[in-house]
Amino acid sequence: MHIPDGFLDAWTASITYAVAVGCGLLLWKKYERDLRAEEISLLTVLSAAVFVAQMLNWPLPGGTSLHFVGGALAGMLLGPSLGFASMTLVLVVQCLLFHDGGITTLGANVLNMAVVGVLTGYAVFKLAVRLAGNKRSSRIAGAFLGAWLSIVLAGFACGLEIGLSPSFGFYIDVTVPVMVGWHALLGVIEGVVTALVVEYLHARLPLAALPLTPQGVVER
Amino acid sequence: MASNLIKSKKVWIAIAIMLVASPLLGVVLADVVNYHEPLDLAAEIVGLRDVSEKITWTPFFDYSIPGFPAEAGYVLAGALGVAVIVAIGYVVMKAVETRE
Repeated sequence: MHIPDGFLDAWTASITYAVAVGCGLLLWKKYERDLRAEEISLLTVLSAAVFVAQMLNWPLPGGTSLHFVGGALAGMLLGPSLGFASMTLVLVVQCLLFHDGGITTLGANVLNMAVVGVLTGYAVFKLAVRLAGNKRSSRIAGAFLGAWLSIVLAGFACGLEIGLSPSFGFYIDVTVPVMVGWHALLGVIEGVVTALVVEYLHARLPLAALPLTPQGVVER
Repeated sequence: MASNLIKSKKVWIAIAIMLVASPLLGVVLADVVNYHEPLDLAAEIVGLRDVSEKITWTPFFDYSIPGFPAEAGYVLAGALGVAVIVAIGYVVMKAVETRE
């Protein structure tokens, strides 16, 4: 999912940088509030866990691989603005320290995983809990669907970006189906892992004022 | 309180276990099956080229540590990444605590 240097042309790279920064500023402004130390504590631990989880590459039969992305989980546990901050921190460390994901494509990677991934996961989870009530079944279903859709939409965005980038001609008719098709399958694993983690943490973490409370998802 | 989370032994033990297991999935099996993400597949079809290896700035490229075998380097690089994330988080947390 991490687009390396060389995959995006200058236009696509610039536009995705601008959109990612714009989304970050909007999110921060919309959800601006006094930060609390406990939120930063959870953000730090979650970022470290997502960073390590992304190092576990699962090879699949048929010659493809996947790793856990974690954007949806960050959105569900931290809300949109802190979820965005958590995933962006992970992506910046991966890019600058290990060159995992390009520097020219960092905007696109933030857009795909920290904006699309986080917001989709958060929105679907919140909707599921709101519509079906804060029950175990709705939390699990919401977390699974939110994480699955976040991977599919992030894959769609990624396919769009690389399909618009080749020097000669547009190839979104090729790249989008490849990315969406594969990620619809891989998203099932992301969904299962996210649902298990969300349900495990729901019972154990005293997240008094975080999005995932015993009473449900609070407004941010 | 969730602020104790950063000091929770359980959490860091879980992260350490994932870190120690990571070379098995990130290096050994990846080499065996020729690590290939859907993104690589799509890029191959439309002829995009990854230039990361030719133009890079970090000695820790692709989770390696100079002088260490790939497996040990992968674990150490992971620990380095975690340390940087925790250092940044800790500084921000202390700054917020002071303001509180």
